[in-house]
Amino acid sequence: MARREEEPKQSPRDPKVRARESSDPVKVVSNGTSGDSSMFSPRFKSVAAMAGWDEESLLIASLVVDDTPERQVKYKKRSDLHFKTPPTNSSRRKRRAQRRSPISMPVAVLNLDDDEETKKDESGKEKEEPQIIVNKEKETRDDKMAESSGVSCPPSSNLPCLDKLRDELSCAICLEICFEPSTTPCGHSFCKKCLRSAADKCGKRCPKCRQLMSHSRSCTVNTVLWNTIQLLFPQEVEARKAAGALNSSGEAVRQIPEKAFYNTRSVQSRRASSGVSSNGEMTMRRRRVILSQDEEDDDAALAIRLVQNTEAEHQNPEQGAHRSIRPLRTSSSRRIPSQDGDAALALRLQREEFMEAFRVDHGQSGSSLSLARANLRAMTSRATSHRATTRHL
Amino acid sequence: MTKPAAGSLAGMLTMTKPSAGSLASRSTWVSTTSVSSSGKRIQREMVELNLDPPPGCCAGPKGDNLYNWVATIIGPPGTPYQGGIYFLDITFPYDYPFQPPKVVFKTRIYHCNVDSAGNVSLEILKDSWSPALTITKVLQALQSIFTKPDPYNPLVPGIAHLYLQDEAKHAELAAEWTLRFAK
Repeated sequence: MARREEEPKQSPRDPKVRARESSDPVKVVSNGTSGDSSMFSPRFKSVAAMAGWDEESLLIASLVVDDTPERQVKYKKRSDLHFKTPPTNSSRRKRRAQRRSPISMPVAVLNLDDDEETKKDESGKEKEEPQIIVNKEKETRDDKMAESSGVSCPPSSNLPCLDKLRDELSCAICLEICFEPSTTPCGHSFCKKCLRSAADKCGKRCPKCRQLMSHSRSCTVNTVLWNTIQLLFPQEVEARKAAGALNSSGEAVRQIPEKAFYNTRSVQSRRASSGVSSNGEMTMRRRRVILSQDEEDDDAALAIRLVQNTEAEHQNPEQGAHRSIRPLRTSSSRRIPSQDGDAALALRLQREEFMEAFRVDHGQSGSSLSLARANLRAMTSRATSHRATTRHL
Repeated sequence: MTKPAAGSLAGMLTMTKPSAGSLASRSTWVSTTSVSSSGKRIQREMVELNLDPPPGCCAGPKGDNLYNWVATIIGPPGTPYQGGIYFLDITFPYDYPFQPPKVVFKTRIYHCNVDSAGNVSLEILKDSWSPALTITKVLQALQSIFTKPDPYNPLVPGIAHLYLQDEAKHAELAAEWTLRFAK
């Protein structure tokens, strides 16, 4: 689907931010809880300014005054959240909203609830989280199924020409129903993956008519055709999706080139810092890939991080969920993944608090104290992450 | 010529490409998936061939190995090869359909595009192979060179020469070979 392509553009910031945070997670946790105004370093201020906070509101938030200008602060926060998604052209946003709103909205809400639940009982979190992720995965899949089956007429019953359609809509290379069809300039459609392999191995000519095709065009999915195929052959598409998810990670990563870039980058950085056991890395990567196929951007990425977190905790159970007091640069190779997990935890906390703040806003009630604290925590974590990156640079 | 599905599946399982097993080789995209995708495609072609075989041809896996097929082409009527049954070996590469299958005549034939070892000079089996081509189309192309030899891209220049010079003599010899080897 086209959304998958938009996805990396939609959240280009987050993987980087997370990568930064992973390098300095201890600071995030330790500083995040303190509400002292003396911590406002010039760098912090500049970051806060970048995030849309002026110094005054920072001070107000830190002093926890009852008559904090709630509205103003919240408005700024919200604009900041908007800013998180980089300014895209409005048509894409509109299109996306039209197409995905019934699905993406409930998923987002669901994720919030999950987060809150997990916060309430920190002890059972490790066991719960994978299940939640799985549930979410299922639900999105069900949503998709419901959407496709709801819109389409039940296939194979009232379409006598379905066999002909099947022939028409199947890829000449793999002879199956086109999966993410890509159309050549000469008008022939193949699976995106098949077409790319054909271009790689047999030259950049159309397999059907041998016309030259440009490389850029061959990588885009024909959205109309793909949606049509999904409506007409939901079972085949689902089967193929499942097969793709079970398939080796490499091929799946290749489907999402930008994601793959981030993945390999994070993997490389981890590898650079230490020799992570290749086995664990592969499983992590596979999980990440499986999840990334479920088309959620930030939340999915977060969930993946959480999976890694739990995974890391499985690896070394002697370490608790909160590893706030720990040497920053551990030489042990086994500790590095859990550092990553720390970053995920910090990120999750930050996000949770943001969401909490929003809920208070919607309810028109709530204590400004917790709100201000939440703001502070979120900002400190962001600031420390920024500081970490600048230090590394 | 049909084979039980279980046998072909077993063939697929045995046909896993030997890989180095290291992380580096696993992270290269090509090796891991191409085997299974080629197997899938070959299986699909087999099903389609069984459902709707082209006239005068049939093909299927030789044994348990899905990548080794045997095919037969019946000499088309109206040609000196009429009435002959020609056996061919088809070997699929592991990155099929991105590489052409190898086709070898097992039955001797007097034809300018087929040499004594059975090798065929057919453009679509070499440079102009396209992944959109199937075994059905290959068999049809082979049938077409029975009716219309290509003497300008010969594998056996002598036969091509004779075909251009004296088509009647060529037809006579071809019919004789058909009687001797293909019946």
